[in-house]
Amino acid sequence: MKVLSKSKLETALNKLNQSAEVFLPMQKDKESGFYSWKLFNQGQDELMLNALNVYLPPKNVVLPQTERMYSIKQEGQEIKIDKTFEDSSPRVIFGARPCDLKAILCMDDVFLTRGYEDSFYKCRREAITIVANACFQPGPACFCAAMEINPLEPAGADVIICDAGEAYSWEAKTPKGEALTAQITEYLEEKSLSLPAAKPFVQDVKYEGVAEKLKGMFNNHIWERLGESCHNCGICTYVCPSCYCFDIQVKMWGDEGYRFRCWDSCMYEEYSREAGGGNPRGSGIERFRNRFLHKLEFFKERYGTPLCTGCGRCIVACPAGINIVKIIDEIKEAELDA
Amino acid sequence: MKDISNKIREIAQTLFKEKKIDVFLGWEKGALDFQTVPFIARSEADARKLVFDEYSIHNLATLLLKFRDGSEKIGIAAKGCDSRSIVRLLEDKQFARERLHIIGVGCPGMKDPLQAIGMYSGLKKQQGDGNALAAKCYECVQPNPVIYDDLVGSQQPSRLTGERFARVNAMEQMNADERYRFFEDTLSKCIRCYACRQVCPACNCRTCIFDEMKPQWVGRENSPEDNMMYHLVKASHMAGRCVECGECERVCPVNIPLMLLNQKLIKDVNTFFGPYEAGMNYVEGAKPPLSSYSEKDPDDFI
Ligand code: SF4
Ligand code: SF4
Ligand code: SF4
Ligand code: SF4
Ligand code: SF4
Repeated sequence: MKVLSKSKLETALNKLNQSAEVFLPMQKDKESGFYSWKLFNQGQDELMLNALNVYLPPKNVVLPQTERMYSIKQEGQEIKIDKTFEDSSPRVIFGARPCDLKAILCMDDVFLTRGYEDSFYKCRREAITIVANACFQPGPACFCAAMEINPLEPAGADVIICDAGEAYSWEAKTPKGEALTAQITEYLEEKSLSLPAAKPFVQDVKYEGVAEKLKGMFNNHIWERLGESCHNCGICTYVCPSCYCFDIQVKMWGDEGYRFRCWDSCMYEEYSREAGGGNPRGSGIERFRNRFLHKLEFFKERYGTPLCTGCGRCIVACPAGINIVKIIDEIKEAELDA
Repeated sequence: MKDISNKIREIAQTLFKEKKIDVFLGWEKGALDFQTVPFIARSEADARKLVFDEYSIHNLATLLLKFRDGSEKIGIAAKGCDSRSIVRLLEDKQFARERLHIIGVGCPGMKDPLQAIGMYSGLKKQQGDGNALAAKCYECVQPNPVIYDDLVGSQQPSRLTGERFARVNAMEQMNADERYRFFEDTLSKCIRCYACRQVCPACNCRTCIFDEMKPQWVGRENSPEDNMMYHLVKASHMAGRCVECGECERVCPVNIPLMLLNQKLIKDVNTFFGPYEAGMNYVEGAKPPLSSYSEKDPDDFI
């Protein structure tokens, strides 16, 4: 098999960096997330390829938190679209964990399928190559296997690497992956490598049947109890690798301006507020319920897979200690209202 | 702390039994050992689940807002910082004092479950020896409750050992350019999740300026400009009103030093309009500085 020795990793990254912007998991100051290799400060920052997950997912690379769409000029009565900002510059996400990769595939479903193609998303996404880092040792908050993911052989990766101590195994899976491999072929060796044995999951989560059961639970009494301590703060949706809700807004200065898209969250009152002032999800509990129904039921109904990928970030970040695993359990145990 | 836990449980059960309260806001154990999470008890049986331990850090005062339009009688457990938050809500007329039964707790200092779970899951690095208190607790000047109907736990000394406004003083030493760069860098990281607002007891406005769309006062772009605008406006709304519970900084997922700005304002309000320390004692009808208006004000600009 092809092998990338860890001692050659940085040179290989430098090489890839010549033709694409490479995003990797890093610890930067107190933050951890996916940042550009260009911003890596030797001696200060730390590569986090060995950590299971970093705090901020690579979502920002496929769906930037803020993205300009087009600029506008007003000339007399006319409004002209001045420029569109479709971005097709090549990017590599290096070392995404299978849960984060699956989250990107979920976004592909949303932005590219069922008769809708988002040209901004498409343009950027087509120029992204993903190197996934297989997981042999799930962490205490992980439950991807329960959410229809194979952490050892994740679907949809362009390249899969496995950490075998001194080196990574390197396996291209798609033509994009082959192209990436060709770029660093001088740093890859051909040899055999023994991969670590897969460890069992710490958490036992049983998602089967949850989507179906939720169909009858829209008005169930459990939501009130589960969600009453939620702040509707939106941390969970912003650190989630798969939450993709956005808003489109405009900034104008006199006759000129631009439209942009920015992340939004179903946890916010303003997100579901209608132009006339009404709000179908006016209460915090309704918004809380929506998040879990979308993750566990609606998305599964529409796209055949849950929108939660089991990365565990929301469990770690929620200030009120709200735990999606516990919520899945409670749904399974709940009695259906007569 | 077992003692405190038992006493809170006992008092809450009695209050339910005597029909003096309809709900009780406290903490219960979460899924993991170090998770102690906010809990709304609605019956004597529920009240048996109440706990108080070293992870009961969550400020429960903001939960009160869920009941502000109702008429329920509410029991609530409050550490020092939580009790100052309750004073804030009372001063802001969110509640009538009669609706509350407050169990004050002399607070021995809390650990931070967000730090603990971050380390446990490998997403955060170990800071200190793992037994350390939450950062905010080391700066606490008021661990004892300032308003209560029952008092449990023992009187605690202030835990602040160093200089009160050390971080602020260091910032004041920077020149204008350095300071601008510092804030530009720091605030660029903000992901604008608004958690710092949601957990804040001073942020009790029914419609927050950041949610207004017509006009939209602050842009929603995640850019240094819009981020700085968010923090400038949020911070200035805290002047004279922040009770130093430190929850904003604790919950921020990207470590924005929100208390640096808040403490600068605490210091300035005290210097220019004080002596004043927000939420330290409740006097019905009293108004914090910057909340009152007088036509005889010698300044011609607010
Ligand atoms: S949830 Fe699965 S894919 Fe994600 S880090 Fe954990 S083991 Fe890896
Ligand atoms: S579930 Fe937690 S993180 Fe999400 S909005 Fe509620 S309090 Fe915030
Ligand atoms: S819902 Fe939570 S566990 Fe699921 S993918 Fe999102 S952040 Fe991860
Ligand atoms: S400062 Fe932190 S908590 Fe507040 S909006 Fe920014 S990221 Fe969220
Ligand atoms: S930021 Fe200002 S307007 Fe918004 S809730 Fe807080 S005090 Fe009110």
